[in-house]
Amino acid sequence: MSLFDKRLTPTEAPKRGRYSAGVMEYRDMGYWQPDYEPKDTDIIAVFRVTPQDGVDPVEASAAVAGESSTATWTVVWTDRLTACDKYRAKCYRVDPVPNAPGVYFAFIAYELDLFEPGSIANLAASIIGNVFGFKPLKALRLEDMRFPVAYVKTFQGPATGIVVERERLDKFGRPLLGATVKPKLGLSGRNYGRVVYEALKGGLDFTKDDENINSQPFMHWRDRFLYCMEAVNKAQAATGEVKGSYLNITAATMEDMYERAEFAKELGSVIVMIDLVIGYTAIQSMAKWARRNDMILHLHRAGHSTYTRQKNHGVSFRVIAKWMRLAGVDHIHAGTVVGKLEGDPNATRGYYDICREDYNPQNLEHGLFFDQHWASLNKLMPVASGGIHAGQMHQLIDLLGEDVVLQFGGGTIGHPMGIAAGATANRVALEAMIFARNAGRDILQEGPQILEDAAKACTPLKQALDTWKDVSFNYASTDTPDFVPTVTPAE
Amino acid sequence: MRITQGCFSFLPDLTDDQIRSQAQYIIDKGWAVNLEYTDDPHPRNTYWEMWDLPMFDVKDAAAVMIELDACRKAHGDRFYIRLSGFDASHGWESVRISFIVGRPKTEPGFRLLRQEGPGRRQIYATQAYAADRPEGDRYKS
Amino acid sequence: MEGSEISMESGSSAPPETIDLRRELAETHVQDVLDQLDRELVGLAPVKKRIRQIAALLIVDRVRRRMGLESETPTLHMSFTGNPGTGKTTVALRMAQILHKLGYIRKGHLVSVTRDDLVGQYIGHTAPKTKEILKKAMGGVLFIDEAYYLYRQENERDYGQEAIEILLQVMENQREDLVVILAGYAERMDQFFRSNPGFRSRIAHHIDFPDYTDPELMQIAKSMLAAQSYKFSEAGEAAFESYIAARRKQPLFSNARSIRNALDRARLRHANRYFEQDGPVSLDDLMTIDAPDVLASRVFDSHPSEK
Repeated sequence: MSLFDKRLTPTEAPKRGRYSAGVMEYRDMGYWQPDYEPKDTDIIAVFRVTPQDGVDPVEASAAVAGESSTATWTVVWTDRLTACDKYRAKCYRVDPVPNAPGVYFAFIAYELDLFEPGSIANLAASIIGNVFGFKPLKALRLEDMRFPVAYVKTFQGPATGIVVERERLDKFGRPLLGATVKPKLGLSGRNYGRVVYEALKGGLDFTKDDENINSQPFMHWRDRFLYCMEAVNKAQAATGEVKGSYLNITAATMEDMYERAEFAKELGSVIVMIDLVIGYTAIQSMAKWARRNDMILHLHRAGHSTYTRQKNHGVSFRVIAKWMRLAGVDHIHAGTVVGKLEGDPNATRGYYDICREDYNPQNLEHGLFFDQHWASLNKLMPVASGGIHAGQMHQLIDLLGEDVVLQFGGGTIGHPMGIAAGATANRVALEAMIFARNAGRDILQEGPQILEDAAKACTPLKQALDTWKDVSFNYASTDTPDFVPTVTPAE
Repeated sequence: MRITQGCFSFLPDLTDDQIRSQAQYIIDKGWAVNLEYTDDPHPRNTYWEMWDLPMFDVKDAAAVMIELDACRKAHGDRFYIRLSGFDASHGWESVRISFIVGRPKTEPGFRLLRQEGPGRRQIYATQAYAADRPEGDRYKS
Repeated sequence: MEGSEISMESGSSAPPETIDLRRELAETHVQDVLDQLDRELVGLAPVKKRIRQIAALLIVDRVRRRMGLESETPTLHMSFTGNPGTGKTTVALRMAQILHKLGYIRKGHLVSVTRDDLVGQYIGHTAPKTKEILKKAMGGVLFIDEAYYLYRQENERDYGQEAIEILLQVMENQREDLVVILAGYAERMDQFFRSNPGFRSRIAHHIDFPDYTDPELMQIAKSMLAAQSYKFSEAGEAAFESYIAARRKQPLFSNARSIRNALDRARLRHANRYFEQDGPVSLDDLMTIDAPDVLASRVFDSHPSEK
């Protein structure tokens, strides 16, 4: 019966012509092709599909392919005016999720021509546009994507990248240190700059505006920028080191954002910051602006947990990380594992690899479903922020490596001897740990001893260790990879 | 004041054995070891003077220490000396670690110059107090 | 590193009364290197004996230090004398491994140089060249072949003198960073040491490499061939025996190296012999060096009767 489509499913032939008017199962419309071998130029997505009770998983997966590409609920004859075989997304594999009855991984291949070059907005509109509300599905989650090199090359990538950022800052061989100014709301510009000055002079490389510091009644943005840059320049002269403060330029309109970015540049800031909530288009615009203006672009992933955290529905953070590397930001918050915010160690390793490697081999334990070539796109610096302190330095370096910004907000500003002392404690802990690692010591085992030894010559570190020694956030992660190295048989 | 550029400036000055351990780490990573010195430690002074060519083919840190000793003899405590590791592999092709291994006995630090600009703006410049004197004559030995 | 491991061992229990030196030999894997030397070098019995003696000394020294007995860093610089092709470089390579396994040098690599690598062409050229080589050799063994060329008696202003001075300084002051082996013909080395007593006093071990005997060279030839999947026919072997006897009498004889060169030329003739004749060739033919492949050598020109 494959009268019109030679590549129709071998399992179940349609009962009538492919293009007869009416409703037809997605799997019979060509969206299920178990024999299809994805081309090197295809974009591939894997979804976690939870069909409604009684809905066949293959049909549900084919529907996802259809609704995220060419299909609509009924057959349309206008398909025949197009090379529709080519444009149809093809679900080519449906696997049950390990240890999760009724949930399936659907692998779907998309023809490259379905997408506008260099546009995350277009990519998102296609892949997560309509389909997440589709009624026959209880829940749907975009787990991972594979982008062909041809598509990767249509993006600018990080405006600055890890290598050039380090060269510009003249800081090599160790994680960068930052802190978010606290309290996050309410400080006047003058008081805000004091925190920045103390923290930078004490030894941090960066301070940071919080995600919701924009231009409120208690502190308007120009005031903040002027006081921050006074603090940055004073700290630079006091230490002989390059310093920076992420000036948050997030605003209501693009025009406002450009105005704030230009002002930051005029004041000589090395870095500006945006929030994920400004949207993909605005992010790409700012990335291009940052490339044109030699500016490091920090992205705070504000809002992401609304759709990344729950395992059954939404978009995995690893997809967001991939999109952001393409979109062209230089910093992205990617989790701490040990801090106060969600982050499974293995999944977090996967995010960090996406940010920093030129090639990610498939690694199911880390949640990476596909090999991904980054085609020499700049590396993206991950940022670890939220509930971390100097006493965890060995764990942080062991887990996250050295190409990362470690942000100790409370861990700096909450120090009993003051902000500068808090900054010094963090910097000494960091340098001592990197030194010990390079000298061949097992920092994970000997970490506490190394910190204690370093504290002998540094009272602020001693106090930091005493103050926060027992603080940890041990809660079960909600978003963990589904594949474990060795499967333990259920008793 | 103490200039805190580099990886280990917040630790007490490194002993020769400590420097050796870090140099060996660099060599074992397959990176080239580089020695540079300057008496203009401005944070934007990228190009310190090279002490000979980068050491590409050495296997043991003893070789680095020979050069470091020679560099100290020549420039002693009137200059800053830094040791760095350069990674030539694709995707990096840059410095991977850098730290100060010698500094003048006294470090007078930097003056922050300000110029009034429009709209409450300040135009800042950082200037080393020592930079007023000619090169080679900036720090007392 | 080494020190801390050792102190941990002895710290956990009272110092042992007796020490098993053989176990020491096995645990440091020095025995493996000695065995390897036995396998890869034919004959050379006196050399191998000396190496074993030196290894024994170093092991005892190591144990003594561990037990807290007084001992300073031993001088380990050596001289290897003998004719070309007597295995000096190979032994130096293994010596570097032994020293490394016993913890006397940190890396165990061998940097092999001659005068040209150390001595420059103009003023100010030599010191950087010598230093560059020394830096590469740090943590390992510096092997200076035909070391006597560093010293030119007839020319006082020869740049070699500068290299010698730098070498002597490093050999004295950086004994834990570098071991130097000077190598060359026996008589010329003797003369070199007489003219440069500084070197003589810094050399701890002299090893003399004797020439190979004819049967040893035959054995070397066979193992070289075997390594390349060749063998002699009976007539070929007889021819090669007479080749060895004749070659030894001629100038520029260099032991194993001469054998290797002779075999390379024999393989060339062997290949061409089969090209020149018609008909198919068997696998065995492809593997067998026969008398004509050897006898065509120019070595036999002065002995027409053997041809």
